[in-house]
Amino acid sequence: MARRILFVTTDQQRYDALGCNGGQVARTPVIDRLASEGVRYERAHPQNVVCMPSRATIVTGRHVRNHGVWMNGVPLAPDAPSVARVLLDAGWRTALFGKAHFEPLLDPFLRQVENRLGILGATDVDGAPHRGFEHLEFAGHGAVLLLHHGQWMRAEHPEHLFDFYPVLDRSLEVNAAGGGDSGAPQVHHNRVPRDLYHTDWVAERALAWLDGLDDDEDWFCWLSFPDPHHPWDPPSSELHRVPWRELDLPEGYPEDREEREKRLDGKGAHWRRWYDGDLVSNYEAPAHWVPATLTADQVREVNAMAHIQNELIDEALGRVLARIGQRGWGDDLDVLYTTDHGEFQGDHGLLFKGPYHVDSLMRLPLLWRPAPSSLDEPSGGAVVTSPVGLLDLAPTFCAIAGLDVPEWMDGEPLPRDEEHARSQGRKRVLTEWDSVHPNGTEVHLQSLYRDGLLCTRYEEGTCHDGTEGELFDLAEDPVQAVNLWDDPTRRSLRDELLTDLEASLPARPTVARRVESPV
Amino acid sequence: MVIITEEITIEAPAEEVWALVAAAERQAEWFPGMASSTVEGTVRTIGTAAGGMLLEEILDIDHDRRRFEYRITGPMQFDHHLGSIEVHEVDGAKSASRVVYGQELEPTALAYVLGAALRDALVGLRELVETGATSRGWDPEGGA
Repeated sequence: MARRILFVTTDQQRYDALGCNGGQVARTPVIDRLASEGVRYERAHPQNVVCMPSRATIVTGRHVRNHGVWMNGVPLAPDAPSVARVLLDAGWRTALFGKAHFEPLLDPFLRQVENRLGILGATDVDGAPHRGFEHLEFAGHGAVLLLHHGQWMRAEHPEHLFDFYPVLDRSLEVNAAGGGDSGAPQVHHNRVPRDLYHTDWVAERALAWLDGLDDDEDWFCWLSFPDPHHPWDPPSSELHRVPWRELDLPEGYPEDREEREKRLDGKGAHWRRWYDGDLVSNYEAPAHWVPATLTADQVREVNAMAHIQNELIDEALGRVLARIGQRGWGDDLDVLYTTDHGEFQGDHGLLFKGPYHVDSLMRLPLLWRPAPSSLDEPSGGAVVTSPVGLLDLAPTFCAIAGLDVPEWMDGEPLPRDEEHARSQGRKRVLTEWDSVHPNGTEVHLQSLYRDGLLCTRYEEGTCHDGTEGELFDLAEDPVQAVNLWDDPTRRSLRDELLTDLEASLPARPTVARRVESPV
Repeated sequence: MVIITEEITIEAPAEEVWALVAAAERQAEWFPGMASSTVEGTVRTIGTAAGGMLLEEILDIDHDRRRFEYRITGPMQFDHHLGSIEVHEVDGAKSASRVVYGQELEPTALAYVLGAALRDALVGLRELVETGATSRGWDPEGGA
């Protein structure tokens, strides 16, 4: 009996994007069905809230400090271990379609292997695998010319090449230009036909690869959709799906300006300074956009666009699963679905992401539909509330394949239900952030989630003196409105969590890997 | 504004190294990721391996100070850019030289990209001087 793993990731997707997680906007029946047949995790966190460090954790199963990709722009070491390599060495077929981002994307001198493959249209490195993947075809946000999808667009559909929103401006900063109906940054009405959009392209390329496999092969296919990461520019033909003017504002968006700013003032200085346009701490949001200018209508339109993108992902995944079913592979197929990090999408009056350790960016969708043939009895609809992390994915793939989990992986296989989680002793999940902007701004955060509490320590940097932080009781305060860090009645609890955080984090490497690009 | 500076020691006389640096049209021979460099008057046009283009204005080639100065004029937009390459004798010795490659830029989005590229470029320059190997290392037409 062969085993197969379909690993599905999105980019910058919120926990509440999915119907199975309580989402009320996007219709995601395919994903919801997987959840009903498998395990849904209610407290899955990334180990970093931007793409490259988080994706490095996914492929290595390691904490950020151990894989070394401490911020966007730091390439994963060429010889870094990879779960794909473990599977390939065990005889599995391995492939990745869509966004990899183990290496920087902004790369005019083509220093990175991923971008060389993309611009050449090559699917391997002169016949050899890359990071354990024997077949790679990349897509990014828009029609990125360094990647396979962009090259295909240029060759086959040049008339639509420039329909997409330009993610970067002419200074190569993240574009602040507004569009759509509300003028929201990174929103754009995109004339590209749906079948040329990267979501459908990723699914089609994966199907082409799957079609070429023999019936009895073990395979690991990573379907890595670039959406719903900004730009929010789904094909205009799909805008009817979610009329933005009819959307309710998100629960996490305080429409009253005074209340919004009061909540920000209760958090670390970097929150309010970014909101006011007084601080650019990281590259991942437009440097020339001031969050205080965000309007309620812009929040509605951004949300509508993201949910349209979510629906397109669900439908593309449905097509892939249907073909897998037609091949007769469904009973031996494990499906895991998650994302690399979240998105504010209006929460706290903000968009995008950055050094902000709250649920908007940290609480992720994560589902596992185990292969029915691997189960003694159906376990559908299990819910795990104990904390898990993206570092648990690579060990899970090893366990599915019947392989020992390598010692270099920091995570452990995901639990199949809450009882299993308790037997594993799962109590906490960690997330960290380090950034050094070329303008000199440094931010360093470390967070621990445990027992419904979220505690973040700010290390000394250019915004913080090392004594500040955040403490939220998520049961009392699900939108993290009130920071309890300085509440004297919580002092001993805070100190206990900080002690746990310190004891649980691995040591920092003595030498930080070099940053080679902003993203 | 950000200032990036990278340095390297090359086992060759400063005059020999400077001759390469001052030959502006030869930069693609030692700057990895540059597919071409052509000069017309004071305009240098760089073709990047990624298929892009950089337009540069050569501001000064000072043979006495062995200092080359240029600025990027497009299509990328900078509020300020100044690039410079200086070649120094090492402690007065005639057999070794120190090359200092600097960039001033605002806005700063490309700071990390240029920092990494400059380090590669200086290694490429050293390879070309010391071994004669050009660093067109990776050729988009020739495979990854």
